[in-house]
Amino acid sequence: MAHMLKPALLGAALTLVAALALSAPAAAKDRFVVDLVNEPSTLDPQLQWNPDSYYVYRNIFDNLVTRDDKGEFAPQIATAWKVLSDTQVEFEIRDGVTFHDGSTLTPEDVAFSVSRIIDPKLASPQQGQFDKIVKAEATGPHSVVLTLAGPYPALLAQLVKLSIVPKHVVEAVGNDAFNLKPVGSGPYKFDSWQRGVAVTLTRNDAYWGTKGPFATAVFRAVPDAATRLADIQAGSADLAVSLDSDLAGQLEASGKGKRLYTLTERLAYLRLNPTKPPFDDLRLRQAVAYAVDKEGITEGILGGLDKPIGQMLTPAHFGWFEDIPGLPYDPDKAKALVAEVGGSPKVEIATGAFFDQRVVQAIQQELADVGFDASIKLVDTPTFLKLIQQGAQGGPALAVSRSSCACQDADGALYQLFHSGNPWTIVENKELDGWLDDARATLDPDKRLTDYRKISTFIAKEIPVVPLFQTVAIYGAAKPLQWTPTPNESLFLNRMSWSE
Amino acid sequence: MTAFLLRRLGQALLTIFGVATLIFFLQRLTGDPTYLLVPDTATQADIEALRHALGFDRPLWVQYLSFLGEIARFDLGRSVVQNVPVADIIASRLPYTLALAAGALLVACGIGIPVGVALALGRDRWTARILAGLVLAAQSMPTFWSGILMILVFAVTLGWLPPSSTGGIDHLVMPSVALGLLSMATFARVTRTALLEELSKDYVRTARARGAATGRLLLRHLARNASIPIITVAGLEISNLLAGAVIVETVFAWPGLGQLTVQSILARDFPIVQGVVLLGSFVTVALNLLTDLLYTVVDPRIRLGGAR
Repeated sequence: MAHMLKPALLGAALTLVAALALSAPAAAKDRFVVDLVNEPSTLDPQLQWNPDSYYVYRNIFDNLVTRDDKGEFAPQIATAWKVLSDTQVEFEIRDGVTFHDGSTLTPEDVAFSVSRIIDPKLASPQQGQFDKIVKAEATGPHSVVLTLAGPYPALLAQLVKLSIVPKHVVEAVGNDAFNLKPVGSGPYKFDSWQRGVAVTLTRNDAYWGTKGPFATAVFRAVPDAATRLADIQAGSADLAVSLDSDLAGQLEASGKGKRLYTLTERLAYLRLNPTKPPFDDLRLRQAVAYAVDKEGITEGILGGLDKPIGQMLTPAHFGWFEDIPGLPYDPDKAKALVAEVGGSPKVEIATGAFFDQRVVQAIQQELADVGFDASIKLVDTPTFLKLIQQGAQGGPALAVSRSSCACQDADGALYQLFHSGNPWTIVENKELDGWLDDARATLDPDKRLTDYRKISTFIAKEIPVVPLFQTVAIYGAAKPLQWTPTPNESLFLNRMSWSE
Repeated sequence: MTAFLLRRLGQALLTIFGVATLIFFLQRLTGDPTYLLVPDTATQADIEALRHALGFDRPLWVQYLSFLGEIARFDLGRSVVQNVPVADIIASRLPYTLALAAGALLVACGIGIPVGVALALGRDRWTARILAGLVLAAQSMPTFWSGILMILVFAVTLGWLPPSSTGGIDHLVMPSVALGLLSMATFARVTRTALLEELSKDYVRTARARGAATGRLLLRHLARNASIPIITVAGLEISNLLAGAVIVETVFAWPGLGQLTVQSILARDFPIVQGVVLLGSFVTVALNLLTDLLYTVVDPRIRLGGAR
């Protein structure tokens, strides 16, 4: 048996080795290697939405607008924009931008890209981020007009994520083929996708903006975090995503690399269902807020890089206020409140497998310490998402979750979670609905801020949620890499540099 | 013989059908992949639209029948996450899994069988005791631990081998050893037991009495007679190697089917999990059949399908 199989298997091995020998590493920093967790799900920027995909495709494609390293809006394909009316915005399109196939990027391509993502036929998971856009038209040799269903102040924040795809290529080859061989206008060109192994990009030397520092960039799939760390230490990777604070500490201590990190716009929070006992009693919601030691969690468990927050927003969002801190950690007050209500209220903390279970266990302990009869209900991620997607009435009494709108704007961060009628909504309140709708319907930033102040104050007082902490993104990097990670978890190669 | 083959073939088909049904329904107990595919702020309409596009809004029995229809046409469907034919994805991963299994088998047999022989022939010497201890140690180490340990020693500290991923044959060394060491112990044990049993038989004593050297005895008679249990184990071990590769492939970022399976289970990419499981059950059933057939080649006394 073994004797018969071995030659066949060895043959397969040798073929494989021959095929792979071509991809041996080159010298110098011509070749930049990034360790992702998984390979991208897709390289069509208008389909799947997950970090391992957009880390890669945001280098292949330009967006209509972008955010600079400070988080401010900056021109990209659109050089300027003008509000024509409450429902129309005109974008001026950059001249002289070419796609990787040599063709010129035109306003038609921009209009096509918008129309494509809002077309229900594409069934893009990102559709909801752009569903306020009704129509996109090329109105001149350099202009595109977007027509909106109503005034929409978060438009630019959402357009940061809208990649421009070439109309003629997508129409000629179809969606499936475009996904396999994407053509964009970004600083890097698609070179090859060795399925399961790596995606290779090469520098676009004709790029209109800042050119990339590396001739080629390889994005590999390395699922195990300890292995990603070892890759940096051994010098076989230059940048690794998603390290935890322990691994990042090991990397610093070894002297064979460095950690880079940034606070993201992703936040962790507790959902308290005001329609279900025991949390229909405000005193018990307050008790939970007093009982949880956010600083203890970020410092003691998470390594000190995550940041405790008091709002359902982070400083990276438009609409965040310095002076709304939420209730402080005060276990004695919590105990007193629980005692006042009487008994030992039974609560079950629903949580998904994606959440750091050490944090959930700490919360369970803290709730038990102040008099709750707390237990944990851990389910797999899709089941959890389904659980918290039942609206205000159907949701669990208590759950711990994470959220990010990837838009750094209060509208994206709050609307789905606090406006009635949405699947994810935590609370149904007419007043809250009014402020959310009002803030969404005006383009005046001051008016919006007034609304968001009311909303955040309401949340701090009524406590349908207890915001926990703003999560950090930690990267492992080779020492010569110079790069500032951004809150929206992008990985723009042309904003990096290399100095030995 | 023909009747035997037909019967076994029928059993094989039934087994695969059972596995297909089981994996189809088990997976659907674990949640709806649509939730994992949409952004945090997706609207109800987004979720419904995507669910419809993926076909998960159909009644379960409709999905099941369409799945059975697809496998009957040898169509494994398309990945829910990547929207690429499952067959293409599996085909791209299969060579890596085969290469790793071959490397591991090479390590397992190449070390395991000689060690087993040494253990059997020198069973009272101290070297054999040390060897037995080493075999036990190798078998006891969990691969997720031995794997990361090897990476730290040979890649990070010594810099002899690449820590992970693919490239040249050097990338295959550590995963093969990590995976092979587990089976090595099994091969050593089985070889030792089989040889000891043969050594105690009359024909060996007779041969020895006639002055035959141990080496000649080993090659001429013992090896062949002892190979039956070793072949049985090899057949079982190949399935084990394919299954055990899940951890090794994840630790070493080796892009084989094991890693694919884990990722697909986490992402609830049902069609890929179904495809891999079907392939796995097919290979296991085929290997079992092949092992049975090989017995007749090695030992002509065995007749398949005869009166038992």
